[in-house]
Amino acid sequence: MSWVWRGFRPVLESVLAGLIGLGVGALIMRAWGYHPWPAYVALFKESFGSGYGLASALANATPLILTALTFAVGARAGLFVIGAEGMMYMGAMAAVALSLLRFPSGFHAFLALFCAAAAGILWGLIPAMLRAYRGVHEVISTIMFNWLSHFLSFYLVANILVDPIRAEKTLSIAKTSRLPLLLRGTDLSLGIVVAAGLALVFYVFLWHTVAGYEVRAAGANPHAARYGGVSPQKTVLLVFALGGIAAGLAGAVEVMGRPPTYAVYSGLTNLSGFGFDGIGVAMIGRIHPLGIIPAAIFYGGLQAGARLMQMEAGVPFEMVRAVQGVIVLALALPELTRIFRVLLRGWRLRGERA
Amino acid sequence: MKRLGLVVVLVAFLALPVLAGRVALILDVGGRGDLSFNDMGFKGTEEACAAFGWEMVEIQSATSADYLPNIRNAARSGKFDLIICVGFLLADALNEVAAEFPNQRFAIIDAVVNQPNVLSIVFEEQEGSALVGALAGMLAAEYGYPYVGVVLGIEIPVLYHFEGGYRFGIDWGLKKYAEVTGKTANVGLLWVYTGTFSDIAKGKAAAEAQLEQGAVAVYNVAGPLGIGILEAVAAKLAKENREAGPPFMIGVDANQDWMGDGNKVVASMMKRVDVGCYTAIKMVHEGTFKGGVLSLGLKNKGVAISRYQDLLDFIDFGIKAGAITEADRERIIENWKKMRASIPEWIWKAVDELEAKILSGEIVVPKPETREEMLAVRAKYPLTR
Repeated sequence: MSWVWRGFRPVLESVLAGLIGLGVGALIMRAWGYHPWPAYVALFKESFGSGYGLASALANATPLILTALTFAVGARAGLFVIGAEGMMYMGAMAAVALSLLRFPSGFHAFLALFCAAAAGILWGLIPAMLRAYRGVHEVISTIMFNWLSHFLSFYLVANILVDPIRAEKTLSIAKTSRLPLLLRGTDLSLGIVVAAGLALVFYVFLWHTVAGYEVRAAGANPHAARYGGVSPQKTVLLVFALGGIAAGLAGAVEVMGRPPTYAVYSGLTNLSGFGFDGIGVAMIGRIHPLGIIPAAIFYGGLQAGARLMQMEAGVPFEMVRAVQGVIVLALALPELTRIFRVLLRGWRLRGERA
Repeated sequence: MKRLGLVVVLVAFLALPVLAGRVALILDVGGRGDLSFNDMGFKGTEEACAAFGWEMVEIQSATSADYLPNIRNAARSGKFDLIICVGFLLADALNEVAAEFPNQRFAIIDAVVNQPNVLSIVFEEQEGSALVGALAGMLAAEYGYPYVGVVLGIEIPVLYHFEGGYRFGIDWGLKKYAEVTGKTANVGLLWVYTGTFSDIAKGKAAAEAQLEQGAVAVYNVAGPLGIGILEAVAAKLAKENREAGPPFMIGVDANQDWMGDGNKVVASMMKRVDVGCYTAIKMVHEGTFKGGVLSLGLKNKGVAISRYQDLLDFIDFGIKAGAITEADRERIIENWKKMRASIPEWIWKAVDELEAKILSGEIVVPKPETREEMLAVRAKYPLTR
């Protein structure tokens, strides 16, 4: 029976947390004079109550699954990789750059995804090496690299990859390199298959391979893992590489699979935030590759439904964002408390040794 | 008894407020609170709704990936008599959705979408820019400043209208100065495309550089960057221990004369997005709506140089937006009147003269649409010292 409880407890916690979030969100709306009921009806009816809404939720979930994987695989190894945002920009830039070349359809898209994954790995290489060989904390280095990537991408969008007749965006992805839409008249592309597939691969890797076991061991207890012969350097490099692949692909599937423009806008307005939202999604999904998929779909559904809260229930945009934030925060709480407990234990251990 | 029931139903029906129509206003990521483009769209829509008994639903976009779903959701709901997209960034998405929903009426501001159910509202920015250009040129000549300035956003074709008109206007103003005073002034143009419509710090830095070289006025052609430009103008004035310009900023889109206490923005090239939204709703309301391009210029009050009545209107706008308070009203009006009166009368007369000549068709302001045409205008009016 205990294994059933072990499986169900996180689900139960998440559902409870979600209900609390909805309740607090309703109170906030009430306090500002909006009606929570029609707002929530709009939020959920549209996002999960119709085929079109569900397609929107899945489309929004696509990049989030991938950036959440970046954080999750890092967290499993005991690392706080905040760098998905920067890696994601690089992946998007690589996908756009590949459109400057000519290749047959299909192969072109495959090559673009491959290069985007490579770009993600490369962008994570320096923080990974700094961590592995110099002990530089990955939170600091990856945040700095996010900004480097942000401004490098700004430059690339405005100068190198810019559309010569429409300076507000990059060149659009070549037709041969676009991910086909799964449903016409929606935003849902083949990218969701790439994202869910990679989540499955990460799950198999982490729980059914020796290398994956070593990663989790390093996260659970670094001292014991090292004693057991696990190289901490190798683990860090491996985890960053995997995270780079996922985040690089996130940027690529977003520009290659999102109609109508298939390009990066100046100011990165169609990309910025996925990396950070991914951290929230990873928390909601209990940093488990398979938990991340429903978490991302839920999060994507919130985004899709939020668009309708404005239209159907007349709740202003800022209020929608606030309510969304409260729900996500509540859902992330169980995992956040667990992480803080682990951190606290680590500090105590260190304190005892000193 | 039956008849009584019928009467009751009829009376109840008549007593209900009649909703004449519904409009969805879809904004890009810039969103509300810019005191300019987007807020103007909201203002015009709100006014039209009040005038015609319509209801408005406002939809903001969190990221540019929201454009397509937001427009599509509004069209799918089938409850809007008109969907207005504010800004050229929404053009691609609208082009797609307009084809999917051929019976839905759409309007877009600042872009042309070639679909039979879309009213594309564009502006003759070059006409208004010529007026403020002439003003700036004459100010520089009159006050002995070596330059006039302009800070632009991203280099897109719409901005060529502004630059082209401004160049033409400066040139016209300098000729006018020579005609009136019999002296020639050596005035050049400082211009820069900052590549952004959001980085206020860049606007400030660009304006600082131009003011340092002696620009009498900096024309804001970059929306929110005007906040930075105004900061630079205020800092320059503070350094010289003065409150009122010169140097000045020239406002854009909305009437920005009230900003900076009423004496730092000499005039604004108003691009009346509000008139555009109002007109689109009016056309639907009166049954005259049809797809195509509607061009708003000086003639139909789509663009204009700011005057006293505009100042009063937009002080209300600023108070409503919370940027200034009621207590500031009188002071701003006084400052503005004093500032405008300090500029020689012949300059304002000359601006009026240029406006009349553009309206009568005697003068046609160049309207560059492509890079090649822009380069040709730059070559014709190089404005170097």
